[in-house]
Amino acid sequence: MVINKKKVFVLGLDSMPPELLFDRWLDQLPNIKRLISNSIYGEMKSTIPAITCPAWVSMMTSANPGRLGLYGFRNRSSYDYEGLSFASANTIHQDTVWDILSKMGKKVVVIGVPMTYPPRPVNGCMVTCFMTPDTKCDYTYPHELKTEVESISNGYILDVGEFRSDNKEPVLKTIYNMTEKRFRLTRHFIRSKEWDFFMVVEMGPDRIHHAFWKYFDQEHPKHIPGSKYQDAILNYYKYLDEEIGETLNLLSDDTLILVVSDHGAKKMIGGICINEWLIQNGYLKLVQYPAESTPFNKLIVDWENTMVWGEGGYYGRIFMNVKDREPRGVLAPQHYEHFRNELIRKLEDLRDENGRNINTKAFKPEDIYTECNGIPPDLIVYYGDLFWRSIGSVGNRTIWASENDTGPDDANHSQYGIFIMRNGKSQYGMRREGVTLYDIAPTILNYMDIQVPVDMEGEVLQ
Amino acid sequence: MKIQMQNEECKLKNKGFTIWLTGLSGAGKTTISHLLERKLKEFGRNVEVLDSDVVRTNLCQGLGFSKQDRDINIQRIAFVCKLLTKNGAAVISSAISPYRDARDKARKEIGNFVEIYVKCPLEVCAERDVKGLYKKALKGEIQGFTGVSDPYEEPLNPELVVETNKETVEESTRKIMQKLVELGYISPKSPVANVYSPEEEARIKERLSRLGYI
Ligand SMILES: Nc1ncnc2c1ncn2[C@@H]1O[C@H](COP(=O)(O)OP(=O)(O)OP(=O)(O)O)[C@@H](O)[C@H]1O
Ligand SMILES: [Mg+2]
Ligand SMILES: [Zn+2]
Repeated sequence: MVINKKKVFVLGLDSMPPELLFDRWLDQLPNIKRLISNSIYGEMKSTIPAITCPAWVSMMTSANPGRLGLYGFRNRSSYDYEGLSFASANTIHQDTVWDILSKMGKKVVVIGVPMTYPPRPVNGCMVTCFMTPDTKCDYTYPHELKTEVESISNGYILDVGEFRSDNKEPVLKTIYNMTEKRFRLTRHFIRSKEWDFFMVVEMGPDRIHHAFWKYFDQEHPKHIPGSKYQDAILNYYKYLDEEIGETLNLLSDDTLILVVSDHGAKKMIGGICINEWLIQNGYLKLVQYPAESTPFNKLIVDWENTMVWGEGGYYGRIFMNVKDREPRGVLAPQHYEHFRNELIRKLEDLRDENGRNINTKAFKPEDIYTECNGIPPDLIVYYGDLFWRSIGSVGNRTIWASENDTGPDDANHSQYGIFIMRNGKSQYGMRREGVTLYDIAPTILNYMDIQVPVDMEGEVLQ
Repeated sequence: MKIQMQNEECKLKNKGFTIWLTGLSGAGKTTISHLLERKLKEFGRNVEVLDSDVVRTNLCQGLGFSKQDRDINIQRIAFVCKLLTKNGAAVISSAISPYRDARDKARKEIGNFVEIYVKCPLEVCAERDVKGLYKKALKGEIQGFTGVSDPYEEPLNPELVVETNKETVEESTRKIMQKLVELGYISPKSPVANVYSPEEEARIKERLSRLGYI
């Protein structure tokens, strides 16, 4: 008797926004459209912060960033001012879906899921993610798999290297190259490996949004009408659609298919230079104000007169200089809460150059997470509801920046990504609301008839 | 100064030790050992876990639960721990090891021995009944079950006691890591950066910065 083995295939599209994929361009993407017509689909709420790390990890463990102790790519490892340390696969203590499945003897293939470097043993194959320094490193499990990956892909590409270049042509070319190689490898593994669970994450959508958003979005402050890159993102989506179609063709009808993203994307209006703002408000003092724009960690801070400092990124993090906590802390612990509330009020009142409130949201970690392991930031901030990014450097004497300090950037992240799920039941393109990325891991395990660990935070999608 | 620091860390990295978890069935030895394993790996350590269930199906197949068999079981585990410890590994044993003299012998044999009493009241262990054994033991279906029909001799001088009915696994593990720092087996410096060499870290940072993440 042939036992019908339940298989799961997960395609991750980093940063895919529902507004573009479902609402704007679906009719031009025949394969995705066909998939959706047999699926449930919709927006999927990301983590706070809506960023690649922790979002993919939270999705694959169904644990919130506080439980993971993962508040971004980098986290504080002590209360000193030394800056932040990189997270990696080694700092993740919750079991991912593929860890659980491996233990149950299921065969897994995992390609490119962020935060899987350094590779860890699985019952199957793993190719790590863009957080791998380069392809000279050990980026596969087992070790020998690397030769196969390199030969099938003819030189694997982990990420787009020269990203912040004004010369857009090579960026575009590398994005296509990277995606083509990843899908080629994916199809090769689908055919040649034994697997019950297969997951691949493609970073291309994220990279193309950040580099080309302004060309199509007429509401982008730096929109250039009629550029030759006007359709760069659409064309890439069409190309992705072809790759996806070709890949899904290899899967049997009873395979659970999930297409998911870790967050969405939206136009970036500008940046808030948080440390400039803190200086102007008297919360932060430098020994000397720099002559030109300088990264925060290169500045000499007068800690004895500093209450707060901030980090750059797609979202903001605020750290407070607390007495008996930071080495030269000044804020008395009994004033901590009061002061933090004052800061939230002021941050949420941030204005743009024209005096309009930009709708900033500041979160206390303990309000949004069930636990706060490691060292959480004192506040997590969405400047202008993520239409604005956070900029850490100081030197321009203004709090508003139209350019990111490391070069131009067209798009920011948004809170809602996408999910599409085809589970063999007749679903006829039903749009489903209220789904969060915590639902994905339990849904996978449940489909595979494996008991969902009680501490997983999501719901099983049926 | 810096070089000396690195030497110190190197030495620590190669200093083997055995974490000996002891306690009733269901107290949490295996659960803690898994998290502890990951934490230690973060410090770049080679870690070996000798879980009693795994040991009993391999190294000690055929041994039962009489005092004599239990002693042999512990002797064999201790012997393997000794070899691994000698070679610089961080070893975790998670056998119930109910007899004090057997544990003391293991301590003598292994040397770098960190005894952790994984303490949890019998009622709580029986309530958890992870393996369904307490139910059977209490019905008399299993003879010589530790805590029910066989003795458990609490450690008198363990390096640390963790109370799993009052702490989370994370807390217990954190306490053990803290103890290892105190005992000089691991360096207090945060391990997080260990994954990347300084050059790699600089490159990743540069790339993430260009990508806009940081
Ligand atoms: N603080 C804690 N530390 C460890 N385990 C805990 C804690 N709190 C609750 N538990 C639960 O207690 C149970 C402990 O089971 P575990 O298999 O680890 O026990 P054990 O000591 O290895 O038992 P045995 O000797 O039978 O192998 C698990 O279900 C675990 O989730
Ligand atoms: Mg056990
Ligand atoms: Zn992302």
